[in-house]
Amino acid sequence: MAMLEVKNLCKRFGDLEVLKDISFNVEQGNVIAIIGPSGSGKSTLLRCINQLERADGGTVKVCGMDMLEQKDGKAVYASAKTLQQIRLKIGLVFQNFNLFPHFTVLRNITEAPVHVLKQNRADAEKTAMQLLEKMGLGTKANAYPCELSGGQQQRVSIARALALKPEILFFDEPTSALDPELTGEILKVIKSLAKEGMTMVIVTHEMAFARDVADHVIFMEKGLIVEEGAPSQLFGENATERTKQFLQRFSEG
Amino acid sequence: MSFDEIGKVFLILLKYLLPTLKVFGMTLLFSIPLGMIVALLKMCKVKPVSWLMNIYIMIMRGTPLMLQVIIAYFAIPMLMQNAATPAWLNSLLSGVDIKGDAYMFRSVLVAFSLNYAAYFAEIFRGGIESIPKGQYEASACLGFSRTQTFFRIILPQVFKRVLPASTNEIITLVKDTSLANVVAYAEITMKAKQQMQLYSSLTPLVLAGVMYFVLAMVLSLLSSFIEKKLSYYK
Repeated sequence: MAMLEVKNLCKRFGDLEVLKDISFNVEQGNVIAIIGPSGSGKSTLLRCINQLERADGGTVKVCGMDMLEQKDGKAVYASAKTLQQIRLKIGLVFQNFNLFPHFTVLRNITEAPVHVLKQNRADAEKTAMQLLEKMGLGTKANAYPCELSGGQQQRVSIARALALKPEILFFDEPTSALDPELTGEILKVIKSLAKEGMTMVIVTHEMAFARDVADHVIFMEKGLIVEEGAPSQLFGENATERTKQFLQRFSEG
Repeated sequence: MSFDEIGKVFLILLKYLLPTLKVFGMTLLFSIPLGMIVALLKMCKVKPVSWLMNIYIMIMRGTPLMLQVIIAYFAIPMLMQNAATPAWLNSLLSGVDIKGDAYMFRSVLVAFSLNYAAYFAEIFRGGIESIPKGQYEASACLGFSRTQTFFRIILPQVFKRVLPASTNEIITLVKDTSLANVVAYAEITMKAKQQMQLYSSLTPLVLAGVMYFVLAMVLSLLSSFIEKKLSYYK
């Protein structure tokens, strides 16, 4: 079953067309990596799907619910109620974590389950502790974000997203704010989530990681999907010239 | 002045500390929430609302508080005397008792609250705008409503950020309460002036100064204490 269906998605900032006609599907259990040069619209694409930006055209369907439809040539968003339902089906992990600095690690994770999903606090804390254990942060529950390393903060933010039990988890360059050592610990977490069958869409500059973990890679440039397919194809000999060129520049560093 | 006399003057001034603190406390009580509302309205996307708040802030900050106190005190009596005042307004105003101490206090409070709300509004607006956009985005992605986001995520962080600037305003307010004596509101400065004339001595004024100084110190210590309490996060 398609968890996410994006068709002909367009987004403009003034005269600048950031997304031109983007279409792709995500099936349950898929791990999709989106790669491409800076300014290619990768982040904007995630932000449109996560309702942080309003798209200008196209359709988006999340878990069978219409989020954005085309009616008489106009992009029409679903009702506020549906949009909120969709919001809770998906989670987003940000490049710079965006943890709530005034809450402890535990409270960062439980705040939404308690006040949005109206879970009772004890249950929410139990789930949060399990997630923290899984992230290797069981001892950090009462720490504040500023007391953690970047890698630890990012793991908390992954736990925070997982606490709402999303159907799809989006990552917007989750390791770009981290040094190489800390990058490894985040990639490990994402890999283990992939093994558990979590559906994920990851915007990343970690090419080796994209090749290892993703079962589908999308290469974007200038608001368009240039090429997509299995990692073996995009990272192989048969990739298009543009993809090869981009990846080569990457390996040169 | 003898020690006895100084002691006597001190007790008199101490008695008038209460009206000073009354203006101070009540002004905070009204001006802080009002300042928050003005800050939010100024950030409102409906342009006329935002402009209106701008004009209000400009007038309040651009004219002396003493003048505002005088206007607040005399506006109603003057309107009542003026033949040009429409009848409906006159009948409305005639219900106001302009002779009592209560009226004096209220007019002082109105001027102070409106004036300080303008200053607080600018501090709060700065605080709210300094919160990174990512905090709103993370809140939205987690499904928080706008109200929840404001009260649970944004406001606590704003509170910490505006504390130093607000302390400044609050300490200024303690000293500004002395401006109330311009409409003969009996508070420390007014009494100190009377005692100065009575004894032909500057000592009562120095005593008044010491009292303001102690109040300002207490507030500044209190603020440092709260700041320290909030230093557990950045």
